[in-house]
Amino acid sequence: MTQETLLRQIIDYDNRADPYPLYAELRKTPVRQEGDELFVVSTYWEIKSLLHDPRISSDARNLSPGAAGTLLQEEEASPLPPSFLRLDPPEHDRLRRMTMRPFGPPETPRRIHNMRGELARIVTDLIDGFGDRKQVDIVDDFSYPFPVTVICRLLGVPREDEARFHTWADTIAAGLDPAPGQDAGEQHRVTQQARTELGMYLSGLIDERSGAPGDDMLSELVTQHGPDGQMTRAELLSTASLLLIAGHETTVNLITNGMLTLLRNPEVLGRLREDARLAVPLVEELLRFEPPVQLLPQRTTLADIDIAGTTIPEGASVWLVLASGNRDPQRFPDPDRFDPDRKDIQHLGFGSGIHNCFGAPLARLEAQLALTELTRRLDGPRLVEDPPPYRQNAVLRGPRHLNVAFDGLRS
Amino acid sequence: MRLVVDLNRCQGYAQCAFLAPDVFAMHGEESLLYNPHAEAAQREQVLRAATACPVQAILVEDPDAAPGAAEDELSHVR
Repeated sequence: MTQETLLRQIIDYDNRADPYPLYAELRKTPVRQEGDELFVVSTYWEIKSLLHDPRISSDARNLSPGAAGTLLQEEEASPLPPSFLRLDPPEHDRLRRMTMRPFGPPETPRRIHNMRGELARIVTDLIDGFGDRKQVDIVDDFSYPFPVTVICRLLGVPREDEARFHTWADTIAAGLDPAPGQDAGEQHRVTQQARTELGMYLSGLIDERSGAPGDDMLSELVTQHGPDGQMTRAELLSTASLLLIAGHETTVNLITNGMLTLLRNPEVLGRLREDARLAVPLVEELLRFEPPVQLLPQRTTLADIDIAGTTIPEGASVWLVLASGNRDPQRFPDPDRFDPDRKDIQHLGFGSGIHNCFGAPLARLEAQLALTELTRRLDGPRLVEDPPPYRQNAVLRGPRHLNVAFDGLRS
Repeated sequence: MRLVVDLNRCQGYAQCAFLAPDVFAMHGEESLLYNPHAEAAQREQVLRAATACPVQAILVEDPDAAPGAAEDELSHVR
């Protein structure tokens, strides 16, 4: 098997349902050169070390011209400046700190904790919405609408506008995940149109909130006058778009992968139904076993870096395959076994280092609540097809549909 | 219940301060304050925080004890 074909195989849709044997093949060469300026890192300690290395950049402007054209590097042309996801210190630190102020500790330690009741109500409403049906699509009927509603409530999108917000989010998500045979030009036009409309909507909401702030996160982002100053209009729009897209494209996969894994492991599902406390370690194991972000394809080197016997030259494109590091037998015993009782569980599911997932505490609560309630309320749930059909995306990997049949709803 | 945080391990990810704000608090961006004798009623919060810690720096005495008087927070959904 040549190196080139191994990477192509990982991107190939035919291997989407089970990329893990390919990752095992990758790990035979922990830092693997794929073409002139692309390096793939697949073992736990090497990934972890690079995530904490200040010579690694997330800013596409540091890619060498040759590396900029490699797989998955094509950027959407956007009129907005890069969000903190694609910036390095000190700009990253300033914007992330300003975004954290209205979201979490130290300034706002209770916002997420205090959303628990609201999260629970949204979950209950969605499950009640299954009605008399004996089969649902967990993706379209539950794990997609749930995080979009949550992000609307967090940002302070008025209830009457939520439906429009869902439509834009759906369109943008479809653009991240083009179906085979679809007219790429037309798809691109529709996606850009949705991005523009969403941007204009958010811009209007920013105007409204700066005049009459509420206690929502957007109001506080708009009005804050902290030590880091104020965000510009463009920074506000970049940040709000990042929260929206990163906040649900990942959570939908975490919840769906969770239901799929539980239905494949009925003994664990039974335990969770008996004891909701199991949801806490179970979600951590899920983040190891089936992480919603499989790999980080957007890092580059600011200097030549020697690692695992290889020199990655400055300006190269570096892929960090988190899902492979999570299955590294040098780090986790029996890594291909789903085991919620695992005590040693420092997974890479949320990344690590300065770019560690901003929304991790919210994602944890959403997944814990969602899986507990789906498990408790669905009577006799079973997969209609296994494996389910997957989304195209190899990075944000997860089922496109997850049809589950059941005998009825418990109250 | 007693708990201890290994502050040599702690890297300020703040997951505990999000998930158990009655027990853990961030002082500035990096230093952590916590109550080493948390109330039994906070057991669920503490276990949630300890499990989520990315560097596994939180040690909880007798984590498998019954929740006692503490009502399981997830049961509010029911």
